[in-house]
Amino acid sequence: MKIVDTTGMKCPAPLIATKKAIREADENELVRIILDNRTSFENVSRFLKDTGAAFSSQVSDGSWTIETGRAGAEHNREYAIPSEAAIPHFKKGDFIIAFTSDTMGQGDEELGKLLIENFIKAVKDLDTLPRKMVFYNRGVFLGSTGSPVVDHLRELEMMGVVMLLCATCVNHYSLGEKIKVGTLSNMFEIAGEMESASKVIRP
Amino acid sequence: MKTDLLQLAENGGCSSKISPVLLQEILKKLPLSADPNILVDIDSHDDAGVYKINDELALVLTTDFFPPVCSDPYEFGQIAAANSISDVYAMGGTPVVALNIMMFPSSRLSMDDYYQILKGGSDKASEAGISIIGGHTIDDFTPKYGLAVTGFVHPQRIVTNKGALAGDSVILTKPLGTGVILAGHRLNLASAPDLAGALGSMKLLNRTGADIMRKFDIRGATDITGYGLAGHALKMARASEVTISLKMSSVPLIGDTYRIADEGCIPGASFRNLGFVENDSAFADGLDYNLKMIAMDAQTSGGLLMSVPGNIQEEVLRQLHSAGLTSAAIIGSVLPKGDRYLVVVN
Repeated sequence: MKIVDTTGMKCPAPLIATKKAIREADENELVRIILDNRTSFENVSRFLKDTGAAFSSQVSDGSWTIETGRAGAEHNREYAIPSEAAIPHFKKGDFIIAFTSDTMGQGDEELGKLLIENFIKAVKDLDTLPRKMVFYNRGVFLGSTGSPVVDHLRELEMMGVVMLLCATCVNHYSLGEKIKVGTLSNMFEIAGEMESASKVIRP
Repeated sequence: MKTDLLQLAENGGCSSKISPVLLQEILKKLPLSADPNILVDIDSHDDAGVYKINDELALVLTTDFFPPVCSDPYEFGQIAAANSISDVYAMGGTPVVALNIMMFPSSRLSMDDYYQILKGGSDKASEAGISIIGGHTIDDFTPKYGLAVTGFVHPQRIVTNKGALAGDSVILTKPLGTGVILAGHRLNLASAPDLAGALGSMKLLNRTGADIMRKFDIRGATDITGYGLAGHALKMARASEVTISLKMSSVPLIGDTYRIADEGCIPGASFRNLGFVENDSAFADGLDYNLKMIAMDAQTSGGLLMSVPGNIQEEVLRQLHSAGLTSAAIIGSVLPKGDRYLVVVN
């Protein structure tokens, strides 16, 4: 067991000591933290709760004790921003939208551009949002500077829709610096996403 | 011996604000004035009050003071003044005059320290183009300093928390992390360049950002101080009746802020701010814990948070960058009001 005595420490030193002890603990080792003030106790408890750690606590006059360990806690993970952010109040369906062009349908180009803009605006109002949106060939132009829909795409991204752009296509059209949404991806990932979705929509 | 103001203060800067939850409860009990010339008051939780003189002119009134955030008295004076003046900029105003507010322990510090703090404030005021025309000092421990600032604004061009519209992008003009770095500095977790980055950012006036904001007629903005990015964004979302979504991986950070937070250096003020925002916020599944707590980090003299229409966002950003605010970034977007006022994603 590791014992962390934070008596006399001021915020946020008790939390730093707690985190260090948990990181250094063995797999099943118990970590006992002793605290001498309520604020530090509440902050350390809140940290453990928010990071999914199992812990128990005891209060006796003027002293607080917390017992925890390494198991299950998120704070043991290495830092990596997950690629998919699921936002609670925007529901997502099991479908993907594939943009293969910066226009919609065949015919007059001006009309096609207007249609794709209206389509993307409409997606924002769907009851369920797409799981992902993929862009290839001239589709990547939609996510670049100067595109009339780049703000709408960014808004969808903020609503939690992950966007993958074909890197080969971005390079082919020399759009590198101008891409404003999503992440660059490859055909292997894009094919995998399309294969695993129950529906792929191609506007 | 060189003075170290940090030896005299437990909490620094805007970290020492009273809990926002408590303040909100108390303010509810105080009557609001019905004077029709009051254009902005505490009702919308804005940065400053605005009082109309005539159709062309309104006064912007604000005050702010706090205990030392750094060791050097002159630097502390500069930071406190920049922070106080910032509220006028955040309202779209032009600062005009100010008064000093000081609590000074004359038995613990020298008269030269007193002079240095005031000199820092005075120099920063000059940089902002304003005069300090008076003030008040009380002999008290711990030291505290700040300004009461008066500015002018056109009554039709006030920038408030109420001005965010769905479809706008959210731009932040300064990087985050002063709370984490100052706490880390006290515990020897912050490097000299990190500390210098934080001090430099706190000393920087929001004047440049405000000039660009005015030029583009942006109407929704606030400055980021004690309630942290999340707290101030929430106040703006509530006042504007919208949802603001913050994309934390796009938020610029000072130096090693992330690493220091990851070591557990999360100031107490961040937990207070979390308590203030959590009922009105949706945190994305898998939201990185450190980024979440950095969104709660109390800033001292933080940047402007502006709600910018999509058609001008690139140009606003370009001009901020070329005016020297190189960290300015689009960090989120304004959405129609959803279940929660604030959404925080990675």
